[in-house]
Amino acid sequence: MRTVSKRIITLHSSTNVKTSLKNNKKNKKEYIQSYLMILPQLIGFCVFTIYPIAWVVHLGWFSYDGVTKTYIGWENFIRLFTRDPMYWSTLLNTFVLAIGKLIVELPLALILAVILNLKLKGRSFFRAMFYMPNVISSAIIGIIFYFMFASFEGIVNNILLALKFISEPINWFGSKSTAMFVIAVAAIWQGFGINMLFFLSALQNIPEELYECADIDGANKFRQFLHITVPMLAPVSKVIFMLAFIGSLKITDLVLVLTNGQPAGQTEVVMTYIFKYFFTNSEGSSSQIGYASALGLVTSIIIGLVTVFYLKMMKKTGNIY
Amino acid sequence: MVKLKKFFIHMPLYVFLGAILILTIFPVVYVILASFKSNQEILSAGANLIPKKITLENYKLAWVLADFKQYTWNSVYMSSLIVLGTIITSSMGGYVFSRGKFPGKRIIFALFTSTMFISMGSVTIYPLLQICRGLHINNSLWGVIIINVFGLHITNLYLVKGFIDAIPYEVDEASKMDGCSFFRIYWNIIFPLLKPIIATVALITFRTAWNDYLLPLVFTLARPKQAPLVVGLVALKGSGEAASSWNLMMAGSAISMVPMLTIYFALNRYFISGLTTGAVKG
Repeated sequence: MRTVSKRIITLHSSTNVKTSLKNNKKNKKEYIQSYLMILPQLIGFCVFTIYPIAWVVHLGWFSYDGVTKTYIGWENFIRLFTRDPMYWSTLLNTFVLAIGKLIVELPLALILAVILNLKLKGRSFFRAMFYMPNVISSAIIGIIFYFMFASFEGIVNNILLALKFISEPINWFGSKSTAMFVIAVAAIWQGFGINMLFFLSALQNIPEELYECADIDGANKFRQFLHITVPMLAPVSKVIFMLAFIGSLKITDLVLVLTNGQPAGQTEVVMTYIFKYFFTNSEGSSSQIGYASALGLVTSIIIGLVTVFYLKMMKKTGNIY
Repeated sequence: MVKLKKFFIHMPLYVFLGAILILTIFPVVYVILASFKSNQEILSAGANLIPKKITLENYKLAWVLADFKQYTWNSVYMSSLIVLGTIITSSMGGYVFSRGKFPGKRIIFALFTSTMFISMGSVTIYPLLQICRGLHINNSLWGVIIINVFGLHITNLYLVKGFIDAIPYEVDEASKMDGCSFFRIYWNIIFPLLKPIIATVALITFRTAWNDYLLPLVFTLARPKQAPLVVGLVALKGSGEAASSWNLMMAGSAISMVPMLTIYFALNRYFISGLTTGAVKG
């Protein structure tokens, strides 16, 4: 690429003044066409990305019910930090769910990736099947798991009963711990395939020569895994972990459809909690869009801080490998 | 002997893969099989998966009575328009960022890339609705379509840009000599070469559009007739009759899942290649 553009530059400088003037005109035309061609996305970026963020940041300092807007200073934030324990418990739920999910999901994805990286027969079949849940809508996954784990005649209960693991149906959505468990199972089911693919593409990027060298040096397969695969995977794994973690913190649709925060708001995650302040709650007497904006702003900052903290920590531990 | 040894080493791996495979396909198989059972049978089948008597009644009911015909049509036109629009905006954007030479290119691209890190998730849905209220497109799927087409999809840009970067410069240099303008080179030379990457972009976009829930939900709150499949299905669950209409829900889930799954299994190499190259480049 670079050599090509260099050649073009030398081409330009060697031509005489007349043509370079002509080129200037041509360049201007090219500039205009370039700008026109990205104009749709530029407008979209300003209107649908920047403006909504600015709007949320701005509204954080207002009381707004969809009609009247009054400036109330830091009131929303004071309320959030001192008088809204519910918010903090949803935030805690979100972190518990994300960590619980990833503890199972990522090792499973890694193991599957390592197995599928062997030259097994039918590996592209398995790869395609394991990724399949990822193409189904989160909302539909919510519905499917809602039926599967239904306390009355749900298939999971029925199978457990038939196998005599339990003597009476479990009311999965009746208590916080079991309901969270179902959410985690659904989320893992949805997400392990994509992480498997990420690990798999990282594994395939490890140069074959390294293994050949180790073979010549007489290292066995286990030592090769420990001393080549693991260190070569480490940098990519950090990125995969971060993407998966942040993605899990933003979980919305699945929870909204699967439990909708039931029982009694105990499985509410932070995004569904905020969403309800924007929409559901505003249908009643008290509309709290300003407060919802403050919640959204603080949550985004918390997620941002977690990311920065994680990156810092990874930089420190980075020299282990 | 070697073959036998290999077999014994691989055996446990296959058992493990098989177990995970069963867990992976179980929910989908369960729903599809249950959608052919009568409501009575669903609620009394115990651990039986296979329907005793196959009935298409559920599909008929869902299609006609529960408006799934309308929902399917809404989903189809919403998703197709989003895919068509996104192909144009993404391929033009990728082309400009790959081949264009203009002041501000780096800054704009860096700004676009930053959206990967500063997205606020579902928090910005309300302001999006407000904007569309201002544009008078807040009560139909047109709002969703416009937001998706003009909104930024940074992964698509990276995919197309990476693909065009790999096309040799000589290809457009020649037509430049012949007097083709910057846009004409895109339209006549580059765009026809983009087929494989456009297939990937189209599939990724179609999946997102077809499966989206929150945005279309919010835009069709006032007009449930306009809802796409996913939204209509979830609304049915929340309607309070869910307990008595498991069969409808199963058929509805199947109707909204099967088109996506068919496309996935027919074209899964495009899905997977797009994902992995996108991940490596992004």
